Amino acid sequence: MSKLLNLALGILAAIGGFVDIGDLVFNTAAGATFGYQLLWVIPVGVLGIIVYSEMSGRVAAVSEKAVFDAVRERTGFAAGLSALLASEVVNLLTLAAEIGGVAIALQLLAGLPYRVLLVLAVVALAVVVWTLQLEWIERVFGYGGLCLVVFAVAAVKLGPDWAKTGNGFIPHIAQNNSWLYLYFAVGLLGAAMTPYEVYFYSSGGIEDRWTAEDIGLNRANAIVGYALGGFLSIALMIVGASVFLRHGINPEHLGTIALGAEQPLGKIGLLLAVVGILFAVGGAAIDTVFSGAYNLAQFFGWEWGRYRHPAGAPRFALTWVFLLVAALAIVLTGVDPVMLTEYAVIFSAVALPLTYIPILLVANDPEYMGRHVNGRLANVLGLGYLIVIMVIAIAAIPLMIITNVGQN
Amino acid sequence: MDKIHIGRNVLDHQLLDSDGRRCGNVDDLALEGNEVVAIHVGPGYWQRRAGLLGRVAGFIGGSNRVRIPWSEVEKVDAAVRLRRPAPEYGLGKIDDRLRPYLERVPGAKR
Repeated sequence: MSKLLNLALGILAAIGGFVDIGDLVFNTAAGATFGYQLLWVIPVGVLGIIVYSEMSGRVAAVSEKAVFDAVRERTGFAAGLSALLASEVVNLLTLAAEIGGVAIALQLLAGLPYRVLLVLAVVALAVVVWTLQLEWIERVFGYGGLCLVVFAVAAVKLGPDWAKTGNGFIPHIAQNNSWLYLYFAVGLLGAAMTPYEVYFYSSGGIEDRWTAEDIGLNRANAIVGYALGGFLSIALMIVGASVFLRHGINPEHLGTIALGAEQPLGKIGLLLAVVGILFAVGGAAIDTVFSGAYNLAQFFGWEWGRYRHPAGAPRFALTWVFLLVAALAIVLTGVDPVMLTEYAVIFSAVALPLTYIPILLVANDPEYMGRHVNGRLANVLGLGYLIVIMVIAIAAIPLMIITNVGQN
Repeated sequence: MDKIHIGRNVLDHQLLDSDGRRCGNVDDLALEGNEVVAIHVGPGYWQRRAGLLGRVAGFIGGSNRVRIPWSEVEKVDAAVRLRRPAPEYGLGKIDDRLRPYLERVPGAKR
Protein backbone atom coordinates (compact mmCIF):
# COMPACT_ATOMS: atom_id res chain seq x y z
CA MET A 1 0.00 0.00 0.00
CA SER A 2 2.72 2.44 0.98
CA LYS A 3 4.52 1.46 -2.23
CA LEU A 4 1.47 2.37 -4.27
CA LEU A 5 1.13 5.61 -2.35
CA ASN A 6 4.78 6.38 -3.06
CA LEU A 7 4.30 5.74 -6.75
CA ALA A 8 1.24 7.98 -6.80
CA LEU A 9 3.10 10.72 -4.96
CA GLY A 10 6.01 10.38 -7.38
CA ILE A 11 3.69 10.67 -10.36
CA LEU A 12 2.00 13.75 -8.92
CA ALA A 13 5.42 15.34 -8.50
CA ALA A 14 6.32 14.39 -12.06
CA ILE A 15 3.20 16.06 -13.47
CA GLY A 16 4.01 19.24 -11.60
CA GLY A 17 7.62 18.97 -12.70
CA PHE A 18 6.98 18.41 -16.41
CA VAL A 19 6.15 21.96 -17.36
CA ASP A 20 9.01 24.45 -17.53
CA ILE A 21 9.32 27.94 -18.90
CA GLY A 22 9.77 26.65 -22.46
CA ASP A 23 6.45 24.78 -22.33
CA LEU A 24 4.69 27.76 -20.73
CA VAL A 25 5.93 30.20 -23.36
CA PHE A 26 5.57 28.08 -26.48
CA ASN A 27 2.24 26.43 -25.69
CA THR A 28 0.54 29.67 -24.75
CA ALA A 29 2.05 31.63 -27.64
CA ALA A 30 1.13 28.87 -30.10
CA GLY A 31 -2.45 28.93 -28.83
CA ALA A 32 -2.58 32.73 -28.97
CA THR A 33 -1.34 32.76 -32.57
CA PHE A 34 -2.76 29.63 -34.19
CA GLY A 35 -5.62 28.65 -31.91
CA TYR A 36 -6.02 24.90 -31.68
CA GLN A 37 -4.12 24.20 -34.88
CA LEU A 38 -0.87 23.10 -33.24
CA LEU A 39 -2.39 20.78 -30.63
CA TRP A 40 -1.24 17.72 -32.57
CA VAL A 41 2.41 18.64 -32.00
CA ILE A 42 2.08 18.14 -28.22
CA PRO A 43 1.51 14.36 -28.26
CA VAL A 44 4.27 14.02 -30.86
CA GLY A 45 6.73 15.78 -28.53
CA VAL A 46 5.52 13.93 -25.45
CA LEU A 47 5.96 10.54 -27.12
CA GLY A 48 9.48 11.60 -28.15
CA ILE A 49 10.53 12.48 -24.61
CA ILE A 50 8.97 9.23 -23.35
CA VAL A 51 10.90 7.15 -25.90
CA TYR A 52 14.29 8.70 -25.13
CA SER A 53 13.78 8.99 -21.38
CA GLU A 54 12.78 5.34 -21.19
CA MET A 55 15.83 4.42 -23.27
CA SER A 56 18.27 6.50 -21.21
CA GLY A 57 16.73 5.23 -17.97
CA ARG A 58 17.08 1.63 -19.16
CA VAL A 59 20.70 2.27 -20.17
CA ALA A 60 21.35 3.72 -16.71
CA ALA A 61 19.66 0.80 -14.97
CA VAL A 62 21.39 -1.95 -16.96
CA SER A 63 24.82 -0.55 -17.84
CA GLU A 64 25.33 1.99 -15.02
CA LYS A 65 26.03 4.71 -17.58
CA ALA A 66 24.49 8.15 -17.46
CA VAL A 67 24.07 10.10 -20.70
CA PHE A 68 27.47 11.80 -20.75
CA ASP A 69 29.30 8.61 -19.80
CA ALA A 70 27.75 7.09 -22.90
CA VAL A 71 28.45 10.16 -25.03
CA ARG A 72 32.15 10.08 -24.23
CA GLU A 73 32.54 6.33 -24.50
CA ARG A 74 30.72 6.03 -27.79
CA THR A 75 31.75 9.21 -29.62
CA GLY A 76 35.24 9.65 -28.16
CA PHE A 77 36.87 12.59 -26.50
CA ALA A 78 36.84 15.08 -29.37
CA ALA A 79 33.24 14.71 -30.55
CA GLY A 80 32.10 14.25 -26.98
CA LEU A 81 33.74 17.50 -25.96
CA SER A 82 31.84 19.36 -28.69
CA ALA A 83 28.58 17.77 -27.53
CA LEU A 84 29.42 18.75 -23.95
CA LEU A 85 30.14 22.35 -24.91
CA ALA A 86 26.89 22.63 -26.90
CA SER A 87 24.76 21.16 -24.12
CA GLU A 88 26.36 23.30 -21.45
CA VAL A 89 25.66 26.45 -23.45
CA VAL A 90 22.03 25.43 -24.02
CA ASN A 91 21.70 24.43 -20.38
CA LEU A 92 23.01 27.78 -19.20
CA LEU A 93 20.60 29.69 -21.44
CA THR A 94 17.73 27.53 -20.18
CA LEU A 95 18.79 28.05 -16.58
CA ALA A 96 18.98 31.81 -17.06
CA ALA A 97 15.49 31.81 -18.57
CA GLU A 98 14.07 29.73 -15.71
CA ILE A 99 15.64 32.04 -13.11
CA GLY A 100 14.13 35.02 -14.92
CA GLY A 101 10.80 33.21 -14.78
CA VAL A 102 11.08 32.64 -11.04
CA ALA A 103 11.80 36.34 -10.52
CA ILE A 104 8.80 37.38 -12.65
CA ALA A 105 6.50 35.07 -10.69
CA LEU A 106 7.88 36.47 -7.43
CA GLN A 107 7.36 39.97 -8.76
CA LEU A 108 3.68 39.25 -9.36
CA LEU A 109 3.39 38.02 -5.77
CA ALA A 110 5.64 40.48 -3.94
CA GLY A 111 6.08 43.52 -6.16
CA LEU A 112 9.76 44.14 -5.40
CA PRO A 113 12.09 45.32 -8.20
CA TYR A 114 12.91 42.64 -10.79
CA ARG A 115 16.69 42.67 -10.30
CA VAL A 116 16.40 42.37 -6.51
CA LEU A 117 14.13 39.36 -7.00
CA LEU A 118 16.59 37.78 -9.45
CA VAL A 119 19.28 37.84 -6.77
CA LEU A 120 16.81 36.61 -4.14
CA ALA A 121 15.69 33.80 -6.45
CA VAL A 122 19.24 32.59 -7.05
CA VAL A 123 20.13 32.77 -3.35
CA ALA A 124 16.95 30.87 -2.45
CA LEU A 125 17.61 28.18 -5.09
CA ALA A 126 21.22 27.80 -3.92
CA VAL A 127 20.16 27.43 -0.28
CA VAL A 128 17.48 24.88 -1.23
CA VAL A 129 19.90 22.80 -3.31
CA TRP A 130 22.69 23.05 -0.75
CA THR A 131 20.61 22.01 2.25
CA LEU A 132 17.57 19.97 1.17
CA GLN A 133 17.61 16.38 0.06
CA LEU A 134 16.59 15.93 -3.54
CA GLU A 135 13.62 13.80 -2.61
CA TRP A 136 12.22 16.79 -0.75
CA ILE A 137 13.12 19.25 -3.46
CA GLU A 138 11.26 17.13 -6.01
CA ARG A 139 8.21 16.82 -3.80
CA VAL A 140 7.99 20.48 -2.78
CA PHE A 141 8.44 21.83 -6.30
CA GLY A 142 6.41 19.05 -7.90
CA TYR A 143 3.38 19.59 -5.67
CA GLY A 144 3.71 23.36 -5.97
CA GLY A 145 3.81 22.96 -9.74
CA LEU A 146 0.57 20.98 -9.56
CA CYS A 147 -1.18 24.34 -9.05
CA LEU A 148 -0.84 24.59 -12.82
CA VAL A 149 -3.79 22.20 -12.99
CA VAL A 150 -5.73 25.46 -12.64
CA PHE A 151 -5.05 25.90 -16.38
CA ALA A 152 -6.87 22.63 -17.09
CA VAL A 153 -9.87 23.86 -15.08
CA ALA A 154 -9.65 27.19 -16.88
CA ALA A 155 -9.46 25.46 -20.27
CA VAL A 156 -12.69 23.54 -19.61
CA LYS A 157 -14.48 26.49 -18.03
CA LEU A 158 -13.64 28.69 -21.01
CA GLY A 159 -15.83 26.40 -23.09
CA PRO A 160 -13.50 25.84 -26.02
CA ASP A 161 -14.84 24.81 -29.39
CA TRP A 162 -14.50 21.04 -28.87
CA ALA A 163 -14.90 20.20 -32.54
CA LYS A 164 -12.06 22.54 -33.46
CA THR A 165 -10.04 21.22 -30.54
CA GLY A 166 -10.46 17.70 -31.88
CA ASN A 167 -9.41 18.81 -35.35
CA GLY A 168 -6.31 20.37 -33.85
CA PHE A 169 -5.04 16.91 -33.03
CA ILE A 170 -5.00 15.96 -36.71
CA PRO A 171 -1.56 16.80 -38.11
CA HIS A 172 -1.70 19.52 -40.75
CA ILE A 173 0.07 22.69 -41.84
CA ALA A 174 -1.57 26.10 -41.58
CA GLN A 175 -2.46 27.85 -44.83
CA ASN A 176 -1.49 31.36 -43.71
CA ASN A 177 1.77 32.24 -42.15
CA SER A 178 3.26 28.78 -42.66
CA TRP A 179 6.79 29.79 -41.63
CA LEU A 180 5.59 31.04 -38.24
CA TYR A 181 3.49 27.91 -37.88
CA LEU A 182 6.56 25.74 -38.51
CA TYR A 183 8.62 27.85 -36.12
CA PHE A 184 6.07 27.17 -33.38
CA ALA A 185 5.97 23.48 -34.25
CA VAL A 186 9.77 23.25 -33.86
CA GLY A 187 9.61 25.25 -30.63
CA LEU A 188 6.88 23.01 -29.18
CA LEU A 189 8.89 19.89 -30.00
CA GLY A 190 12.06 21.45 -28.61
CA ALA A 191 10.25 22.48 -25.43
CA ALA A 192 8.74 19.02 -24.91
CA MET A 193 11.99 17.16 -25.64
CA THR A 194 14.37 19.49 -23.77
CA PRO A 195 17.69 17.65 -23.44
CA TYR A 196 18.22 18.55 -19.77
CA GLU A 197 15.24 16.36 -18.85
CA VAL A 198 16.97 13.31 -20.30
CA TYR A 199 20.31 14.11 -18.60
CA PHE A 200 18.54 14.60 -15.30
CA TYR A 201 16.41 11.50 -15.68
CA SER A 202 19.27 9.14 -16.51
CA SER A 203 21.60 10.52 -13.84
CA GLY A 204 18.75 10.18 -11.35
CA GLY A 205 18.50 6.50 -12.27
CA ILE A 206 22.18 6.01 -11.41
CA GLU A 207 21.77 7.91 -8.14
CA ASP A 208 18.76 5.82 -7.16
CA ARG A 209 20.91 2.75 -7.92
CA TRP A 210 18.50 1.31 -10.44
CA THR A 211 19.29 -2.19 -11.62
CA ALA A 212 17.90 -4.31 -14.43
CA GLU A 213 15.02 -5.14 -12.07
CA ASP A 214 13.88 -1.52 -12.16
CA ILE A 215 13.30 -1.26 -15.89
CA GLY A 216 9.58 -1.82 -15.39
CA LEU A 217 9.46 1.02 -12.90
CA ASN A 218 11.52 3.13 -15.33
CA ARG A 219 9.04 2.48 -18.12
CA ALA A 220 6.02 3.31 -15.92
CA ASN A 221 7.67 6.50 -14.65
CA ALA A 222 8.54 7.74 -18.12
CA ILE A 223 5.18 6.95 -19.70
CA VAL A 224 2.80 8.06 -16.96
CA GLY A 225 4.74 11.09 -15.74
CA TYR A 226 5.33 12.64 -19.15
CA ALA A 227 1.94 11.72 -20.61
CA LEU A 228 0.06 13.34 -17.74
CA GLY A 229 2.42 16.31 -17.86
CA GLY A 230 1.51 16.64 -21.54
CA PHE A 231 -2.10 17.32 -20.53
CA LEU A 232 -0.96 20.52 -18.85
CA SER A 233 0.66 21.57 -22.14
CA ILE A 234 -2.64 20.92 -23.93
CA ALA A 235 -4.49 22.96 -21.31
CA LEU A 236 -2.06 25.85 -21.73
CA MET A 237 -2.55 25.90 -25.49
CA ILE A 238 -6.34 25.81 -25.18
CA VAL A 239 -6.24 28.69 -22.69
CA GLY A 240 -3.94 30.56 -25.09
CA ALA A 241 -6.44 30.00 -27.88
CA SER A 242 -9.58 30.77 -25.87
CA VAL A 243 -8.34 33.85 -24.01
CA PHE A 244 -5.55 35.46 -26.00
CA LEU A 245 -6.42 34.66 -29.61
CA ARG A 246 -10.04 35.65 -28.99
CA HIS A 247 -8.93 39.05 -27.67
CA GLY A 248 -5.98 39.49 -30.00
CA ILE A 249 -3.44 39.52 -27.16
CA ASN A 250 0.12 38.35 -27.66
CA PRO A 251 1.30 36.92 -24.30
CA GLU A 252 4.77 38.44 -24.48
CA HIS A 253 5.15 38.64 -20.73
CA LEU A 254 5.17 35.61 -18.43
CA GLY A 255 2.63 37.36 -16.20
CA THR A 256 0.21 37.54 -19.12
CA ILE A 257 0.10 33.74 -19.18
CA ALA A 258 -1.24 33.76 -15.61
CA LEU A 259 -4.01 36.13 -16.70
CA GLY A 260 -5.27 33.27 -18.87
CA ALA A 261 -6.43 31.55 -15.67
CA GLU A 262 -7.80 34.75 -14.11
CA GLN A 263 -10.22 35.44 -16.91
CA PRO A 264 -12.45 32.39 -16.30
CA LEU A 265 -11.66 31.77 -12.61
CA GLY A 266 -11.03 35.17 -11.04
CA LYS A 267 -8.45 36.14 -8.41
CA ILE A 268 -8.03 32.62 -7.04
CA GLY A 269 -7.27 31.38 -10.56
CA LEU A 270 -4.63 34.06 -10.96
CA LEU A 271 -3.04 33.25 -7.62
CA LEU A 272 -2.91 29.51 -8.30
CA ALA A 273 -1.47 30.14 -11.75
CA VAL A 274 1.31 32.38 -10.42
CA VAL A 275 2.17 29.96 -7.60
CA GLY A 276 2.13 27.06 -10.09
CA ILE A 277 4.43 28.94 -12.48
CA LEU A 278 6.75 29.84 -9.58
CA PHE A 279 7.18 26.24 -8.45
CA ALA A 280 7.21 24.66 -11.91
CA VAL A 281 9.86 27.06 -13.18
CA GLY A 282 11.82 26.96 -9.91
CA GLY A 283 11.87 23.15 -9.99
CA ALA A 284 12.96 23.22 -13.62
CA ALA A 285 15.79 25.61 -12.69
CA ILE A 286 17.01 23.07 -10.15
CA ASP A 287 16.80 20.18 -12.64
CA THR A 288 18.67 22.28 -15.19
CA VAL A 289 21.46 23.34 -12.88
CA PHE A 290 21.96 19.74 -11.76
CA SER A 291 22.00 18.57 -15.37
CA GLY A 292 24.78 21.01 -16.20
CA ALA A 293 26.85 19.74 -13.28
CA TYR A 294 26.09 16.06 -14.06
CA ASN A 295 27.24 16.42 -17.66
CA LEU A 296 30.53 18.06 -16.80
CA ALA A 297 31.32 15.63 -13.97
CA GLN A 298 30.43 12.57 -16.05
CA PHE A 299 32.47 13.69 -19.02
CA PHE A 300 35.59 14.34 -16.93
CA GLY A 301 35.07 11.48 -14.49
CA TRP A 302 34.66 13.60 -11.36
CA GLU A 303 32.81 12.43 -8.30
CA TRP A 304 29.18 13.55 -8.62
CA GLY A 305 25.82 13.11 -7.02
CA ARG A 306 23.16 15.05 -5.20
CA TYR A 307 22.77 12.32 -2.57
CA ARG A 308 26.32 12.97 -1.49
CA HIS A 309 26.52 16.09 0.63
CA PRO A 310 28.19 18.99 -1.22
CA ALA A 311 31.53 18.30 0.45
CA GLY A 312 31.38 14.72 -0.84
CA ALA A 313 31.60 15.89 -4.45
CA PRO A 314 33.38 19.27 -4.32
CA ARG A 315 33.85 19.97 -8.02
CA PHE A 316 30.29 18.90 -8.74
CA ALA A 317 29.00 21.27 -6.04
CA LEU A 318 31.17 24.15 -7.23
CA THR A 319 30.00 23.56 -10.81
CA TRP A 320 26.35 24.08 -9.96
CA VAL A 321 27.18 27.11 -7.82
CA PHE A 322 29.14 28.54 -10.74
CA LEU A 323 26.30 27.82 -13.20
CA LEU A 324 23.81 29.61 -10.94
CA VAL A 325 26.06 32.67 -10.73
CA ALA A 326 26.70 32.67 -14.50
CA ALA A 327 22.97 32.39 -15.22
CA LEU A 328 22.28 35.23 -12.79
CA ALA A 329 24.82 37.38 -14.62
CA ILE A 330 22.98 36.73 -17.90
CA VAL A 331 19.54 37.73 -16.60
CA LEU A 332 20.90 40.71 -14.66
CA THR A 333 21.78 42.32 -18.01
CA GLY A 334 18.02 42.84 -18.34
CA VAL A 335 17.53 40.46 -21.27
CA ASP A 336 13.86 39.46 -21.50
CA PRO A 337 13.38 35.93 -20.05
CA VAL A 338 10.68 35.08 -22.61
CA MET A 339 13.07 35.99 -25.43
CA LEU A 340 15.82 34.02 -23.70
CA THR A 341 13.45 31.06 -23.47
CA GLU A 342 12.83 31.11 -27.20
CA TYR A 343 16.57 31.13 -27.93
CA ALA A 344 17.19 28.38 -25.38
CA VAL A 345 14.47 26.12 -26.82
CA ILE A 346 15.50 26.67 -30.44
CA PHE A 347 19.20 26.05 -29.70
CA SER A 348 18.31 22.98 -27.67
CA ALA A 349 16.52 21.65 -30.75
CA VAL A 350 19.83 22.04 -32.59
CA ALA A 351 21.74 20.22 -29.84
CA LEU A 352 19.27 17.32 -29.51
CA PRO A 353 20.91 14.87 -31.95
CA LEU A 354 24.25 15.16 -30.15
CA THR A 355 22.79 13.50 -27.08
CA TYR A 356 20.10 11.29 -28.57
CA ILE A 357 22.35 9.51 -31.07
CA PRO A 358 24.78 8.11 -28.45
CA ILE A 359 21.83 6.96 -26.31
CA LEU A 360 20.34 5.10 -29.26
CA LEU A 361 23.73 3.51 -30.05
CA VAL A 362 24.33 2.33 -26.49
CA ALA A 363 20.75 1.08 -26.09
CA ASN A 364 21.39 -1.16 -29.12
CA ASP A 365 24.77 -2.43 -27.95
CA PRO A 366 24.52 -5.91 -26.43
CA GLU A 367 27.90 -5.40 -24.78
CA TYR A 368 26.34 -2.71 -22.62
CA MET A 369 22.77 -3.93 -22.48
CA GLY A 370 22.87 -7.72 -22.64
CA ARG A 371 19.35 -8.96 -23.17
CA HIS A 372 17.89 -5.54 -22.40
CA VAL A 373 18.88 -4.04 -25.76
CA ASN A 374 16.21 -2.08 -27.58
CA GLY A 375 13.30 -4.15 -28.81
CA ARG A 376 11.70 -3.53 -32.18
CA LEU A 377 9.22 -0.94 -30.85
CA ALA A 378 11.94 1.09 -29.10
CA ASN A 379 14.07 1.05 -32.26
CA VAL A 380 11.28 1.96 -34.67
CA LEU A 381 10.25 4.84 -32.43
CA GLY A 382 13.85 5.74 -31.61
CA LEU A 383 14.87 5.91 -35.28
CA GLY A 384 11.66 7.70 -36.22
CA TYR A 385 12.27 10.37 -33.61
CA LEU A 386 15.91 10.61 -34.59
CA ILE A 387 14.76 11.61 -38.08
CA VAL A 388 12.30 14.11 -36.58
CA ILE A 389 15.07 15.51 -34.38
CA MET A 390 17.52 15.81 -37.30
CA VAL A 391 14.89 17.68 -39.33
CA ILE A 392 14.10 20.10 -36.53
CA ALA A 393 17.81 20.54 -35.74
CA ILE A 394 18.44 21.62 -39.33
CA ALA A 395 15.27 23.69 -39.62
CA ALA A 396 15.38 25.43 -36.23
CA ILE A 397 17.81 28.27 -36.88
CA PRO A 398 16.65 29.12 -40.43
CA LEU A 399 13.06 29.26 -39.11
CA MET A 400 14.16 31.48 -36.25
CA ILE A 401 15.76 33.88 -38.73
CA ILE A 402 12.88 33.82 -41.25
CA THR A 403 10.28 34.53 -38.56
CA ASN A 404 12.49 37.01 -36.66
CA VAL A 405 12.28 34.79 -33.54
CA GLY A 406 8.54 34.37 -33.89
CA GLN A 407 7.83 38.10 -34.10
CA ASN A 408 6.16 38.34 -37.51
CA MET B 1 40.76 -9.96 -18.19
CA ASP B 2 42.37 -10.93 -21.48
CA LYS B 3 39.11 -10.74 -23.38
CA ILE B 4 38.35 -7.05 -23.16
CA HIS B 5 38.43 -4.67 -26.08
CA ILE B 6 40.80 -1.93 -24.96
CA GLY B 7 39.50 0.74 -27.31
CA ARG B 8 35.86 0.10 -26.42
CA ASN B 9 35.99 -1.06 -22.81
CA VAL B 10 38.78 1.01 -21.32
CA LEU B 11 39.50 4.24 -23.19
CA ASP B 12 37.21 7.08 -22.05
CA HIS B 13 35.71 4.97 -19.27
CA GLN B 14 35.18 5.93 -15.64
CA LEU B 15 37.95 5.13 -13.15
CA LEU B 16 36.92 3.91 -9.70
CA ASP B 17 39.37 3.47 -6.85
CA SER B 18 39.33 0.68 -4.27
CA ASP B 19 36.71 2.58 -2.25
CA GLY B 20 34.42 2.97 -5.25
CA ARG B 21 35.26 6.66 -5.55
CA ARG B 22 35.04 8.24 -9.00
CA CYS B 23 38.53 9.51 -9.71
CA GLY B 24 38.78 10.52 -13.35
CA ASN B 25 38.30 9.00 -16.77
CA VAL B 26 40.80 7.06 -18.84
CA ASP B 27 42.06 9.91 -21.00
CA ASP B 28 44.73 8.02 -22.92
CA LEU B 29 46.52 4.68 -23.06
CA ALA B 30 50.23 3.92 -23.12
CA LEU B 31 51.07 1.14 -25.56
CA GLU B 32 54.20 -0.87 -26.02
CA GLY B 33 53.80 -2.82 -29.18
CA ASN B 34 50.36 -4.35 -28.92
CA GLU B 35 50.28 -4.30 -25.17
CA VAL B 36 48.72 -1.69 -22.91
CA VAL B 37 51.27 -0.88 -20.23
CA ALA B 38 49.63 2.07 -18.51
CA ILE B 39 46.56 4.26 -18.22
CA HIS B 40 46.96 8.00 -18.61
CA VAL B 41 44.70 10.34 -16.66
CA GLY B 42 44.56 14.11 -16.53
CA PRO B 43 44.07 17.29 -18.56
CA GLY B 44 47.68 17.07 -19.70
CA TYR B 45 46.59 14.30 -22.09
CA TRP B 46 43.59 16.10 -23.59
CA GLN B 47 45.49 18.19 -26.14
CA ARG B 48 46.44 15.31 -28.35
CA ARG B 49 42.94 13.92 -28.32
CA ALA B 50 40.83 16.82 -29.56
CA GLY B 51 42.69 19.37 -31.65
CA LEU B 52 42.00 23.01 -30.92
CA LEU B 53 39.10 22.36 -28.55
CA GLY B 54 41.25 19.84 -26.68
CA ARG B 55 44.04 22.38 -26.38
CA VAL B 56 41.65 24.97 -24.95
CA ALA B 57 40.23 22.38 -22.52
CA GLY B 58 43.76 21.32 -21.58
CA PHE B 59 44.72 24.94 -21.01
CA ILE B 60 41.78 25.44 -18.65
CA GLY B 61 42.18 22.04 -17.00
CA GLY B 62 45.91 22.40 -16.39
CA SER B 63 48.82 20.17 -17.26
CA ASN B 64 48.36 17.50 -14.62
CA ARG B 65 49.29 14.03 -15.88
CA VAL B 66 48.96 10.79 -13.94
CA ARG B 67 50.32 7.52 -15.23
CA ILE B 68 48.94 4.33 -13.71
CA PRO B 69 50.62 1.04 -14.57
CA TRP B 70 48.23 -1.53 -16.05
CA SER B 71 49.10 -3.91 -13.20
CA GLU B 72 47.19 -1.56 -10.87
CA VAL B 73 43.93 -2.32 -12.71
CA GLU B 74 41.95 -4.77 -10.63
CA LYS B 75 39.17 -5.36 -13.10
CA VAL B 76 37.22 -3.84 -15.95
CA ASP B 77 33.42 -3.91 -15.85
CA ALA B 78 31.13 -0.92 -16.33
CA ALA B 79 34.10 1.08 -15.04
CA VAL B 80 37.85 0.55 -14.75
CA ARG B 81 38.55 -0.42 -11.15
CA LEU B 82 41.87 0.29 -9.46
CA ARG B 83 43.47 -1.70 -6.65
CA ARG B 84 44.18 1.14 -4.23
CA PRO B 85 42.64 4.42 -2.99
CA ALA B 86 42.82 7.39 -5.37
CA PRO B 87 45.30 9.54 -3.36
CA GLU B 88 47.95 6.82 -3.63
CA TYR B 89 47.97 7.38 -7.39
CA GLY B 90 47.74 11.16 -7.14
CA LEU B 91 44.13 11.09 -8.36
CA GLY B 92 41.25 13.15 -6.93
CA LYS B 93 43.69 15.79 -5.68
CA ILE B 94 41.55 18.76 -6.66
CA ASP B 95 38.48 17.44 -4.85
CA ASP B 96 40.58 16.68 -1.78
CA ARG B 97 42.05 20.17 -1.80
CA LEU B 98 38.63 21.84 -2.19
CA ARG B 99 36.84 19.76 0.41
CA PRO B 100 38.08 21.55 3.59
CA TYR B 101 36.84 24.88 2.22
CA LEU B 102 33.39 23.53 1.37
CA GLU B 103 33.10 21.85 4.75
CA ARG B 104 33.27 25.28 6.40
CA VAL B 105 29.94 26.21 4.81
CA PRO B 106 27.01 25.14 7.02
CA GLY B 107 25.04 22.25 5.56
CA ALA B 108 27.88 20.94 3.44
CA LYS B 109 28.03 17.73 5.44
CA ARG B 110 24.36 17.02 5.92
